[in-house]
Amino acid sequence: MAIIIEGRMIALLLLVISFALFYFYMQQAKSGAKISARTFPAVAAIPEAVGRAAEMGKPIYYTTGLGMGTLNNPSQGPQTLAGISILGHVVRLCSRNGVRIDYFTPIVDSLPLVEETMRTAYLMEGNPEGFDPHHIHFQNDQSPYLTASLGYMQRERPASNIMLGGFYYESVVLGEAGNTIGAMQICGSANTHQLPFLVATCDYTLIMEELYAASAEIAGDPDVLGSLRGEDILKFIILALIGVGFLLGIANNTTLINLLRM
Amino acid sequence: MSEVYKRELVFIVAGIVAAVMMVTYFFDIPVLNGVAQQFQVWALIIQLMAIGLGAINLVRLNYRHIQRKSEGIWVFSAWFMVLFSIMLLLGLVGLATGSEHAIYSWIFTHVYTSLSSTLYAITGFYIFSAAYRAFRARNIDAAILLIGGVFVMLTNAPVGAVIWKGFPIIGGWFNIAGQVPAMRTFTITGALGLLAYGFRTLLGKERGFYGEAGQ
Repeated sequence: MAIIIEGRMIALLLLVISFALFYFYMQQAKSGAKISARTFPAVAAIPEAVGRAAEMGKPIYYTTGLGMGTLNNPSQGPQTLAGISILGHVVRLCSRNGVRIDYFTPIVDSLPLVEETMRTAYLMEGNPEGFDPHHIHFQNDQSPYLTASLGYMQRERPASNIMLGGFYYESVVLGEAGNTIGAMQICGSANTHQLPFLVATCDYTLIMEELYAASAEIAGDPDVLGSLRGEDILKFIILALIGVGFLLGIANNTTLINLLRM
Repeated sequence: MSEVYKRELVFIVAGIVAAVMMVTYFFDIPVLNGVAQQFQVWALIIQLMAIGLGAINLVRLNYRHIQRKSEGIWVFSAWFMVLFSIMLLLGLVGLATGSEHAIYSWIFTHVYTSLSSTLYAITGFYIFSAAYRAFRARNIDAAILLIGGVFVMLTNAPVGAVIWKGFPIIGGWFNIAGQVPAMRTFTITGALGLLAYGFRTLLGKERGFYGEAGQ
């Protein structure tokens, strides 16, 4: 009896190669090798967004999107987590600058995580009393979440909107609503179908893997940045595979396709 | 349990669960398959329990608005409390009788679903204004986007083919040869980012979602 499930052998091999590369470069970075990562304009703009809110005396609107309403979704859950990772950083900046931050979510199982993230961020800034659970707004489902967000934007007129996570059609609605009130907007998603809307409506956008890499950049931990180098090497491997596949395809040769299906 | 141990425990549990789920995706090991199934059931239970937390959050927030008579909000909060109580009560009645209460179904179908559909339909207007912003030919890139956009719009609009038969052909090229490779590139890079993120989480290096990101 084959222990490896049929059709997943090459995927396993690629996963092992990927993890080995990540680990290798993380160790390299740990041992002092210089790993430089370009600064994402969207991440660099976060202090500006917080500063703007401080100057205007207005709050910041933060959301991680619909994310299919659960952390359990394999494609949306990690995006929500990445958004929450950056939330911790934003809350710390807000705490330092005395800015109020309101977090909106329709993802019920993310609530304890968000609460803990915000609480820890205030605690780490030596401002535990700054945390107020009333600034975490939960709405069950997409439409209530959207209407609550729109109402909030019209009433409170936040100085900046930060939208990072798995978005669906709410992206264009929130983005346009933010534009209407003149808010500075930073957004990011790994949902290809929403990227055009985010790019069109926001000032700064984290596109696809940048959303996951942003927290590594914020952490500034060389150990973590090493994984980004591994990611770049993998891109070259995939490009090579695409090139070989293209040439074999022209020659009507299906060897590579058959191999990848193993 | 100290805060530090509590936090470490979270990462250890997350790492173990992720490792088990990953192994069972690739390997057919009956013992681990059973464990993975149990994890999935637990995840579902935790998710359902979290709904209670969500309800508490909603009630707490709206109660505060009513208590403080927050300007412009408290009336809506009071209305929320009324509807929340009605739906909760009808839901419990349905649970006791074993069938969904007629009023509960009516509110859901004729109020909630209708309002949701209306909101979804309004999105079209937001797309119009976003498209207007994106399609302003302020530089060469935006001009190319505008030209491409016009072709795609006239491909999708029936009148396009009537004006000129070439519109659907050129628009189709933009849709397939122009868009698909770019979107697939995004998908591949997104998957790689997710892989790296997962690996960092597995090793407990990704701690941002526990408030430990950035200095």
